[in-house]
Amino acid sequence: MSVSNLLENWSKFRHTHPVDDKGIPDWEAYPSDIKWAMSIDLDACTGCNACSVACYAENNLPVVGKDKYSHGQAMHWMRVERYWDEGDNGFQAEQGARFLPMMCQQCEAAPCETVCPVGATNHTEDGLNSQIYNRCIGSRYCSANCPYKVRYFNWYNYPEQENAWPAPLNQQLNPDLTVRTKGVMEKCTFCKQRTYTARNNAKTEGRPVQDSDVQTACQEACPAGAITFGNLHNPESQVAKQWQSQQVDLIKDIQEKDEKEGNRLRGYRVLEELRPYPSVMYLERVRESAV
Amino acid sequence: MGKDIREDIAWAQINKDVLKSLESPRKLYWVIIFVALLVFSVGVGCEIYQYNTGMGVANMDNPHVWGLYIASFIFWIGMSHSGTLLSAILHLMHADWRKPIYRFAEAMTTFSLLTAGLFVAVHLGRLWQVYYALPYPSERWIWPNFQSPLLWDAMAIFTYLSSSILFLYIGSIPDLAICRDNIHQGWRKKLYTLLALGWEGTDRQWRNFRVTYLTIACFLIPLAVSVHSIVASDFAMSQQPGWHVTSFPPYFVAGALYSGCAAIITLFIILRYVFRFEEYMTLPILKKTVRLTFAIAMVWTYLNCIEFASVWYSHDQVAKDVLIQKATGTYAPFWWAMIFCGSVVPFAMMVKKWQTNIPVMFAVSLLLNLGMWLERWMIVAPTFSHGYYPWTWDHDQWPSLIQWGIVFGSFGWFTLLFMVFCKIVPSVSMYEVKEMVYHRSQARKKEERAVQEELAVKGAH
Amino acid sequence: MSKRYLLALYNNFDEAEAVVRELRNSEIKGFNAADDLVVKSPIEHPEVEEFLGEKSVKVQWFTLGGALTGGLLAFSLIAGSQAGFYSQMKGGKPIVPIPPDLVLTYEMFILGGVYITVLGFLICAGLPAKRSPLYSAKVSEDQIGILVKGDDGSMAKLREIFTRHKALEIQEEAGR
Repeated sequence: MSVSNLLENWSKFRHTHPVDDKGIPDWEAYPSDIKWAMSIDLDACTGCNACSVACYAENNLPVVGKDKYSHGQAMHWMRVERYWDEGDNGFQAEQGARFLPMMCQQCEAAPCETVCPVGATNHTEDGLNSQIYNRCIGSRYCSANCPYKVRYFNWYNYPEQENAWPAPLNQQLNPDLTVRTKGVMEKCTFCKQRTYTARNNAKTEGRPVQDSDVQTACQEACPAGAITFGNLHNPESQVAKQWQSQQVDLIKDIQEKDEKEGNRLRGYRVLEELRPYPSVMYLERVRESAV
Repeated sequence: MGKDIREDIAWAQINKDVLKSLESPRKLYWVIIFVALLVFSVGVGCEIYQYNTGMGVANMDNPHVWGLYIASFIFWIGMSHSGTLLSAILHLMHADWRKPIYRFAEAMTTFSLLTAGLFVAVHLGRLWQVYYALPYPSERWIWPNFQSPLLWDAMAIFTYLSSSILFLYIGSIPDLAICRDNIHQGWRKKLYTLLALGWEGTDRQWRNFRVTYLTIACFLIPLAVSVHSIVASDFAMSQQPGWHVTSFPPYFVAGALYSGCAAIITLFIILRYVFRFEEYMTLPILKKTVRLTFAIAMVWTYLNCIEFASVWYSHDQVAKDVLIQKATGTYAPFWWAMIFCGSVVPFAMMVKKWQTNIPVMFAVSLLLNLGMWLERWMIVAPTFSHGYYPWTWDHDQWPSLIQWGIVFGSFGWFTLLFMVFCKIVPSVSMYEVKEMVYHRSQARKKEERAVQEELAVKGAH
Repeated sequence: MSKRYLLALYNNFDEAEAVVRELRNSEIKGFNAADDLVVKSPIEHPEVEEFLGEKSVKVQWFTLGGALTGGLLAFSLIAGSQAGFYSQMKGGKPIVPIPPDLVLTYEMFILGGVYITVLGFLICAGLPAKRSPLYSAKVSEDQIGILVKGDDGSMAKLREIFTRHKALEIQEEAGR
């Protein structure tokens, strides 16, 4: 924290991400060749909730029970939202719902990061929005400022007092990550335990990370293959190809294709206009019929 | 309009009357202390349960991550504003009618800040790690996040609290010396001797005292304004609809002054009766305070309208929806009650007869503060219930009894601290009332002399 | 040579003023009105300063120093510690964001100003102090005290002046 460090690197310290980035990646200010991103095809999604279940199993999420769920205290990092079309006569139940799997959008300019008083949530070099459980003091400002409301707070001490995993269920907890206690905020990490393993393995083998190295739990569980996940900075990856074909640019808050007449591309990002630069692209549903 | 204070009141009598308040208040004093203890213990019980079980017992949920705690936090911070800020402004403006009432107003500032601090503790999910938010050096160079408005809050409130305590203390040193000279036994003697720092009223002490007091007053005015602007930034700096409003800082400052003035009226009436201060906290002073409160009420009303108008005429559809939701949704009764208490009730203060009517003003001041509490709640809650993301709209969340209990208990805590303070430190400034009496009698003498001279001149012709 | 103290009490500022003026104009051996004369009063009274003659107050220099130090300290500490956090970008904002740092600098400016002003007050006013050799509780009530310090030889003259101006009470004590 010396003043000389401050003066020498002043221009780096004044860099605004991602709008000041010169090309992807901006090597000087943001030295990384990985940017994890996702795309979700809503046309393929059947709302089966397998992704959500897989997430519970992979990430040691406590099942809170009916009572707490009805109080809005569920811990589903990955949630499948249902929206009903409104026809002439109100809701059209027979039409079926539209589904939207929603998880942390790992924004590039995340509103939650700036407001945390202790710096428990930061931007990582692989483009994620990290949450440091040990550092969190539970002010919940991050959740208050999240436009998507995808951060979940441990309202109770689930592992101990609430007995969320009665024996022998505790045996199935994932040893690769922690079980969180009361009073901390948590959220989707894009299965950080998996991406880190993949990165380490690739590093050991001396090659870049490939699509075949890693899948998130939700992606792995999706029977319809609606979820694509990978490194957006690698032009060969599936996710980069999808983003490119849909002409969705990570560092733009208004996409050029949306300005054009007769645009038939399906890719969009949720609440893009708030300028958080989310890392998840959704492909709009086009089919009309029920599931 | 009568006189603010009798000019022929003897200085020795002032000492006697005020010192008596330290020893024999009316019985009501003990009733208030007892009730405050009971109320506070309710809050303590609720907090112990919440601390052990988790924040879930407050019945917060995913969109509603903040509840009454943050609303009450702003309320108490706001209440703290009138004491020190008004005292400092009136001091700079040489409005000497502040002198009999400023001491308790500043004490109100201090103790409402302490109450607000309590809500930070109550609100945190992991209170036991609260020191993470302090900028202490560690070998890993981990610092708090200086970008967070919450950290600005902590810094501003710390500055404000310690400066107000110093302002209050410096201002009471001469009075503590009086106590030291007049109370000759027990722990009080020791306490006053210690606190009076050997003050003897020498010319050197007074000279430096005057400059110091003036300097701190000058610092406190921008400080107080910045504190509530920063509290407003907690909301205005966020991205949420209904919070992301440019006019929030001045709006919050006006609301803070408003609730503080109303609280001054309430406490004025209570202290006047409990400590038999009828000679000092006179009705003309009450009248001046009431008029000031009315003016601030109108400023608040204006800024409130500005806020609605700027949301209404903007193209921010989500913010507009939140506003409509406030006026017509679940929160409508409370929202309209806020408008009624904050903007309609103050017109009662325009009636001349009522301005000095103690029961009426007591009721009005309580209603105003109710309105101001509702205002804070109506800032916090509706945005959570109807934010950007439709799937998480939650219009039916209601704070649990635990949450209400802690808010209730905070009033006991404040009253307890305040009433104990008033019995230990003179709540009317003796030396400044003497100054007021002295300057006014000098002015009157001068006037009389001028009149006589004029008469003499006329007689000569 | 040993010094002795004399404290006289008066009813109001007018009487005290007359005494002080006479003391200042008189030439008594072993007594210097500028240094050996202290007026004690129950209220702050600017006229006392007038008839005692101008004496400078230095508290405001403490204020200036404290405020500037507070502000500078705040900015360098905050910006410096953020720079030590280089890898931890937050919300796409610059690592050293100016507006938040200015807010905190402003607060620390005031904090330093107030604290050092109080420190300056204590130093300039000589507090906390031991009680001076002669003190009367009447001073904190309603009387004006005039405390003088002089050689043995000057005591009689000083006492004479006090009595002539109808002092309510005169106390005398051997100094240290």
